[in-house]
Amino acid sequence: MQFNNPLIRLVKCTLFLLVFPGMVLPSQSQTPFVDITEQAGIDHQFVVFEGMFGGGACVFDLDNDGYEDVFITSGMNEDVLYRNNGDGTFSNIFEGSGLEVTRHYVTQGVAGADVNRDGFVDLYITTITTKDSVKVIPREKNLFFLNNGDNTFRDATSEYGLDKFNSFSTGASFGDVNADGYPDLYVGNYFLAYEGQLSVISDATIVGANQTSRDYLLLNDGGKGFVDGYEDYGLDHKGFGFGGVFTDYDNDGDQDLIVNNDFGYKAIPNYLLENQFPKNSFIDRTEELEMDLKINAMGTAIGDYNSDGFLDYYVTNIRINWFMARKGKQEPFTNQLKQTGLSNVPTAISWGANFADFDHDGDQDLFVANGDLNPNCVPMANFYFENDKNRFQEKGRAMGVADYGLGRGSVVFDMDNDGDQDLLMVNQNPTMDYPVESTTRLYRNDAANGNWLKVQLIGTHAETHGIGSRVTLIAGDLRMIREIDGGGSSHLSQNSTIAHFGLGTLTTIDSVVVTWTGGKKQVVTNQSVNQTIKIQETEDKPRRFPIAGAFIVLAIALAFFMLKKRK
Amino acid sequence: MRKRILAFCTRTVLLGIVTMACTPDKKMTITEQDMVISWAEMTLYITQFTPANSPTYASRAVGYIGLTMYESVVAGYPDYQSLTGQLHDMPTLDVPEPGKEYNWPLSFNAAQATILRGIYNQTSDENKGKIDSLEMHFEKYFAGQANGKDEVERSIAYGRSIASTIFEWSKSDGGHRGYLKNFDKEFEHLVRPGAWKPPLYSQSVSHHPLHPYWGENRTFLKENFNLPLPQMIPYDTLPDSPYYQQFLSVYETDLGLTQEQKEIAIWWGDDPDETFTPPGHSFYLATLAVKKEKPGLIKCAETYARVGLAVADAFINCWKWKYHFFSERPNTYIPQFIDPEWVSFWPDPPFPAFPSGHAIQAAASTTVLADMYGEKFAFTDSSHVGRPRDEIRDVDFKARSFTTFWGVAQETADSRFYGGIHTPQDNNIGLEEGARIAGNVNKLIWKKSGNAIQ
Repeated sequence: MQFNNPLIRLVKCTLFLLVFPGMVLPSQSQTPFVDITEQAGIDHQFVVFEGMFGGGACVFDLDNDGYEDVFITSGMNEDVLYRNNGDGTFSNIFEGSGLEVTRHYVTQGVAGADVNRDGFVDLYITTITTKDSVKVIPREKNLFFLNNGDNTFRDATSEYGLDKFNSFSTGASFGDVNADGYPDLYVGNYFLAYEGQLSVISDATIVGANQTSRDYLLLNDGGKGFVDGYEDYGLDHKGFGFGGVFTDYDNDGDQDLIVNNDFGYKAIPNYLLENQFPKNSFIDRTEELEMDLKINAMGTAIGDYNSDGFLDYYVTNIRINWFMARKGKQEPFTNQLKQTGLSNVPTAISWGANFADFDHDGDQDLFVANGDLNPNCVPMANFYFENDKNRFQEKGRAMGVADYGLGRGSVVFDMDNDGDQDLLMVNQNPTMDYPVESTTRLYRNDAANGNWLKVQLIGTHAETHGIGSRVTLIAGDLRMIREIDGGGSSHLSQNSTIAHFGLGTLTTIDSVVVTWTGGKKQVVTNQSVNQTIKIQETEDKPRRFPIAGAFIVLAIALAFFMLKKRK
Repeated sequence: MRKRILAFCTRTVLLGIVTMACTPDKKMTITEQDMVISWAEMTLYITQFTPANSPTYASRAVGYIGLTMYESVVAGYPDYQSLTGQLHDMPTLDVPEPGKEYNWPLSFNAAQATILRGIYNQTSDENKGKIDSLEMHFEKYFAGQANGKDEVERSIAYGRSIASTIFEWSKSDGGHRGYLKNFDKEFEHLVRPGAWKPPLYSQSVSHHPLHPYWGENRTFLKENFNLPLPQMIPYDTLPDSPYYQQFLSVYETDLGLTQEQKEIAIWWGDDPDETFTPPGHSFYLATLAVKKEKPGLIKCAETYARVGLAVADAFINCWKWKYHFFSERPNTYIPQFIDPEWVSFWPDPPFPAFPSGHAIQAAASTTVLADMYGEKFAFTDSSHVGRPRDEIRDVDFKARSFTTFWGVAQETADSRFYGGIHTPQDNNIGLEEGARIAGNVNKLIWKKSGNAIQ
């Protein structure tokens, strides 16, 4: 075909170089972010099964050695498990890890949490179909692996009751909706999901397969299995799901949920669901808070760009992203893209996005991974928005992260434990010829030059790594919040679970407040900067909430009874 | 999804009313027109509520369903003749037993149920159940008017035989079970300046274009198989070039869209995921004509047959040309050369632009309708009345009134221009070619004695 013709290829590449000069030259000697992909031993590319789907990474500490490791899905390629060697390099220990079963599946996204509370992070990997057999309707179970604690895993998909879910899944997120310390899962499904394998496949089942789907809300049953609580929690929507993210948008101590949906202008839009904990249900707040984004929502990054105590949500999309911010508890969200300068960029197709204080000046910057919709293969650079007094300026080129690969999921973590946030982005293999390399990139952050603090949570009742909890840092007038990401504060990916704060010139921290899942607060005071502090959940008296609740219920019942008796 | 469910409910209610209105109450009479219209509405219902719906497949469906209407009754009308021998490789159909009586509504009824079950084999069991009940409903009524059990059985068997033969013939046209390959993942996209690009603001989940080989399908009329290629304005990027001007006019019109233009843009949108598609809309126009004129059974059937054949052939040619030129949409050209921020009012469909499918099929259907009912024809199109308003665009679905058939064709074409997804040349060539294709359908010899070419 035309595009395979070498001459045309040459012309295209030349044209490309004219349009994007400098892009493929060995990069401008010293950028604040340094591409260390090769020297770190990262060699990864996501290969699509068809179309545009897939590619995510999960940051987790495989063996609790204090160096964070990364699992990356690869679609049609073999997945990778990069063990952090602690010296700036990674080794792929996939072979022999017990995760090899993913070789038979087209993997998509990944999330990790300590599902059975043994102290080690377990992995949930979404898939869309099997690799080795051609299915008329591509669907498969997602895979769940328990971490053995010795750098190996075992496949616990069936044991945990997850083998009957036959789906085309995208993003997965761990959270703790009922605050029982056992992390639950929200899983986005793109096309119609089935229970079990399809026994009869007719023309009707085939044409019905590409319809919108319900998602899964998989409740963790005491660390021993999962049960779908989707209907029980009052959820009934069906969309082209790209997964969701748990977040406490209303600051009431429980985990609410934002759901990303593709084609929101045709099928159903994004959802915002308020957790009614301790009741086991969600209330749909989408419309009243104006979060019904009718867009191609790919992912949501959570941050508080102006440190006003209200979380903001950057939602990636095709062409133009949305920045949903809120000024107060009574107000709906409004799109602040233009007002904050985030709109001053060329149109792109965005997927992963991550808030982090990359330069340690005390506010959150924003990275956005861009990439075309395979098989469309127009190169587009990633964005790096530097936050300067609550206004953003795009500096991707100057910072050295304007990679032109087909970006998808992206994650932030401190790969070298030097206190700042490094960046990894998953790139897809372009299915048509492409003028530049498109492989997964790892960028070391050399940009940070202020003070910092990292906070690692150890849950004794809450999830063991603090998933579902939040950390608030107070220093003078400054008040910053971070939620511990259980997956989904990006696209199909999960960031580090260690909270990170840039502090500028601040040298002391008045207090660090942990709000454990469920609302219990714990405070540590007078911390010095440039260190990682570990906060273990205190074993105090049982939570009062259920008791108070029980009293109220009893009182109401009594009142009701008395009233009835009078009549 | 909510919208879909609502639309679904509205439609179900409508069908319910139709059915209720003709419950075989002793005092109730069902006219032949009632039955024909009910079946046409069933076709539209099934089209809309069968997943993987596409305008291409729908055009083919109305082609065979309309033809089956005609062929299942034509033997009962001595002035009229079958189209066997006039259509492309059409097989010989069963003829009635000489000297035996037939009840033609019964034949029609059985034939419609049979062809719908064949063409829409992929529809849900629930929808198949609806076809069965409609068939039973009319069968009961017209059996009561037939002359004995033998005539009833004979008539039903005859209708089924006609429909089965037509369905068997349909299997060789290239579009059989086309819903299984809406988007060909192996199809390699042509890359050159002006080439179609998968849309960013898209109607479709797929980034592959719809039915790239549909243009190779057998047309109903031999005369419509090898039409000359239309002319397309050559690609250019200079602002004073005719090509640029085409897109500039889309852009400028979009900037000043009036509320009525927006209403027109959404009215004729006919997205296959939410509606009966543009070919379905044409079938609906046939119903409007039949409702107003109340012609006899044979002319009712001829109306749908002509519309179906015209629309199906228009789509095959349109698709042949779309993939021959593989031309870009305004959403590709305008951001590159006119305004990088621009995006169309209506999302892009998943296939190349030139010529417009909406325009070509609307011109085709209205040309045959004008030939049968006269160009001056006043009517109101209320097909989308009752749909929830389009909140994204802040526009309501308001009924459209016309005094001529061509008015519909022109407005259908204009609607794509207002939607920002077609240039004037896509529409003008579409209208021209649609009228030409329908002209050939009008030239078919429907009446034995009559000279069809006036």
